[in-house]
Amino acid sequence: MPISLNYLLKRILLSFLVVLGVIVFSYTLLILTPGDPAVKWAGNPRGPGAVLAIELARRELGLDQPLHVQIAKFIYNVFTGNIGLSIAYKVPVTQVVASAFTSTLELLIVTYLFGVPVGVVLGTYSALRRGGRADSIIQTLAVVLASTPTFWLALIIMIILQAVFGVVPYGRIDGRLAIATNFKPITGFYLLDSLVQGNYAVFMDVFVRVIPPALAISVYPIGVLTRVTRTLVAEALLEDNVRAAVAWGVKRSTILRRYVLRSIIPPIVQISGLSFTYSLVDAMVVESMVFGREGLGSVLLDSLHKADFRVSLALIIYLTIFYIVVNTLVDILQATIDPRVRL
Amino acid sequence: MKKYLAYIGVIVVIVILAAYFLVFYKAPETAPKRIVIYAYNDRITGIDPSLEDDTGLVVLGAVYETLTYYDHVTGEVKPRLAINWTSSEDGREWVFYLRRGVFFHDGTPFNATAVKISVERARDIYRETGRGLGYIWDAVEEVEIIDEYTVKFKLSYPQRLDLLASAAYAAYIFSPRVLEYSKASHYTDKALEEWFNRGNAVGTGPYKLVSYDPMREVRLEKFNEWWGWKEINNPHAPDVVIIKIITDPPAQYSGLIAGEVDIACSVPRETVKDLVSRGFKVINQSTYHNFILFFNTRRYPTNITEFRLAIAHAINISTVISQAILGFGTPASGVIPRGFPGHVEGLTYPYDLEKARELLRKAGVEIPVKIELLYQVDYEETNKFAMIFKSFMKDLGIEVELIPQDWARLKDIAKGVWTDPENTPHLIVADWWPTIPSPFDYLYTMLHSESKEWNFAGYVNPEFDSLIYEAWELEGVDYKLALKKYEEAQRIIYREAPVIGLWDEIRPYVHSNRVELPEGALNPMYMYVVRFELVRVRS
Repeated sequence: MPISLNYLLKRILLSFLVVLGVIVFSYTLLILTPGDPAVKWAGNPRGPGAVLAIELARRELGLDQPLHVQIAKFIYNVFTGNIGLSIAYKVPVTQVVASAFTSTLELLIVTYLFGVPVGVVLGTYSALRRGGRADSIIQTLAVVLASTPTFWLALIIMIILQAVFGVVPYGRIDGRLAIATNFKPITGFYLLDSLVQGNYAVFMDVFVRVIPPALAISVYPIGVLTRVTRTLVAEALLEDNVRAAVAWGVKRSTILRRYVLRSIIPPIVQISGLSFTYSLVDAMVVESMVFGREGLGSVLLDSLHKADFRVSLALIIYLTIFYIVVNTLVDILQATIDPRVRL
Repeated sequence: MKKYLAYIGVIVVIVILAAYFLVFYKAPETAPKRIVIYAYNDRITGIDPSLEDDTGLVVLGAVYETLTYYDHVTGEVKPRLAINWTSSEDGREWVFYLRRGVFFHDGTPFNATAVKISVERARDIYRETGRGLGYIWDAVEEVEIIDEYTVKFKLSYPQRLDLLASAAYAAYIFSPRVLEYSKASHYTDKALEEWFNRGNAVGTGPYKLVSYDPMREVRLEKFNEWWGWKEINNPHAPDVVIIKIITDPPAQYSGLIAGEVDIACSVPRETVKDLVSRGFKVINQSTYHNFILFFNTRRYPTNITEFRLAIAHAINISTVISQAILGFGTPASGVIPRGFPGHVEGLTYPYDLEKARELLRKAGVEIPVKIELLYQVDYEETNKFAMIFKSFMKDLGIEVELIPQDWARLKDIAKGVWTDPENTPHLIVADWWPTIPSPFDYLYTMLHSESKEWNFAGYVNPEFDSLIYEAWELEGVDYKLALKKYEEAQRIIYREAPVIGLWDEIRPYVHSNRVELPEGALNPMYMYVVRFELVRVRS
């Protein structure tokens, strides 16, 4: 077993402390900034009763208590899964967060299912042709891709599709088609939901719509992975075992598959994991602003605008947990596939 | 070798399946439905018919009905769930005769009991907790059921109850059976509020609520048993309405172009011409949504009337309208928008730099002087206004520090005028749309000294206060005299300028050729509400 119990316990404890720290810091920051959640909770009251309404709302939200008590209660609520209702929308916070998360996550999963293989193939090809024309073209391309602003690229994709093909990649699903085919979201991952329901029309519709934003977001992981893969493959090709295999006349494809690619998988997984969390930020920016898809970015911004501190905090906490989980999973995966790694 | 064969096998199966679905699969055929997708610009803040005070109106307006309906064209109150009404001479007793043969979406017949509990719930929650907009029923002492279809309201002071019954908020009638559905112990029980806001609604409106996701979309379905279908005779009304939340104006524009939005309420103004050239139709709807500049009357130098008037005369509102809102507005005359009851013409401050300089001299304020302007950052128009305003003030030698904030923070800072005026900005730009068709809505809320949550000017004038209370009560006895009192109150505001009206908004509603929006489908009293029952969908 490459992963020790001790490591896992340490990791969980550390993650717990990180989440606690994030809660305390974010809660304090959100409560201290102007914008009284009690006003919204009381229903923007007017007339002589307004002062009473806001006072009662403040009490109901627990905002009349000392800050440390508020934070302690909030932490308790987070870990018992009861953050309560959203201040602005009056529905459970978990519903608001889940709805935003699934949309963004679906987009990211498609992005990486496309981006990782492309990056690895380009990097490998470049390494095999190192010093050649193809290598320099790919390397230049990788640098350009990794440094292209996603927001700008998203707009360019949108304009090209619209001007050249007359297509507007817009929204997440065709509302009319969803009604006509009786599509019912179950998990919130529309690609999965439509497949489960055997609704292939909706599946194709959702799939076609996810491609343009996924393409825009994928340039960063493609650029990074191309460069990393090239370096890793080039290094692996100089390893003694590879050189010995070449000397023994082992087939080129076998060498590549068995000795080279296998050895680079662990670092590729690690880099993908890191850039996945980075791409989350890209997705939050382009999904709603350019492609009209709902998601984490617009919900977070909106909750901040509306002083909905419960939704803001929940999103921050879940994003932190998401970050931790992705990184932990990457470490575990690395230890599982690379016998040299012991955790 | 076996391994390769397995790989190839899997790939072949995937390719065949994909090809099969792409080529042969057809969406299950269902009866064609007239579906209308309406792009709305904000997430829904709740759908409790008695308590909702904000964006939920867009849903409530289609699912529920009020006793009366305010006709913005004629300024008259029209029958809705009440077919007729009478009032006593002193305006303290009102009898409403209810429409027969009306059913709620759950099949429960509409009657006087429903009216009684709906009104009492909004009023009682307001009385007990101050929440919601139930203050509109503040005068109601007793709701007496005379018979199944007659209900009498006894008031503690005179009111125009027919006008109040047409309010955009807190006047919706819901089924008495909601108590049973929600398992609430009483109509004021929090459990009922939570039940509504979870996405439940039982009204009598032409559309019933089918699904509710306040973050994404709300789905409505035609209520075939609605009493009004035979009256409006619209066989092309939508069967399904999707209220799609699209907060970004450019995304609404893209939605129209992509053919996935039929009606959009918030496209970027600069795209309207382009949309027209692409064949879309535009309805430039005059609204009761106006923008107002508040002066902090409790801090130097905006506590000096001449200084405030100097600023008022230095704003070239025509430039603001053409540059900040691309012509989608009309210069405000006072704080009550055009077309709204009690609006008075001639309460504008002509752009006159000479006069402004003279007033500035009279004010005795040493120039250059620095003042702060607080405005809402997420409104494109207020952002542009702030820039233009800054350049106007430069002409007077006044330096303006811009303080952009989102609405929640703006409100929190602005109401500091009562508790900490020295640290509250000198100027605040805010906007308003009404709940009830009465000048009281604007004048009381924004300028009465009791209204500490919304009077961002910190304005106190006992004469003004008593005038509008007097007018408010007179509305129920002598409406014309009441309007005169309101006018008198507005003239005080014009002279003292604690606030100045900037512009009344014109909102371009853009729709595709798939749908037709006849006159009456939009009503500024019910902001953003589309009367889908009047919309015609082309096959």
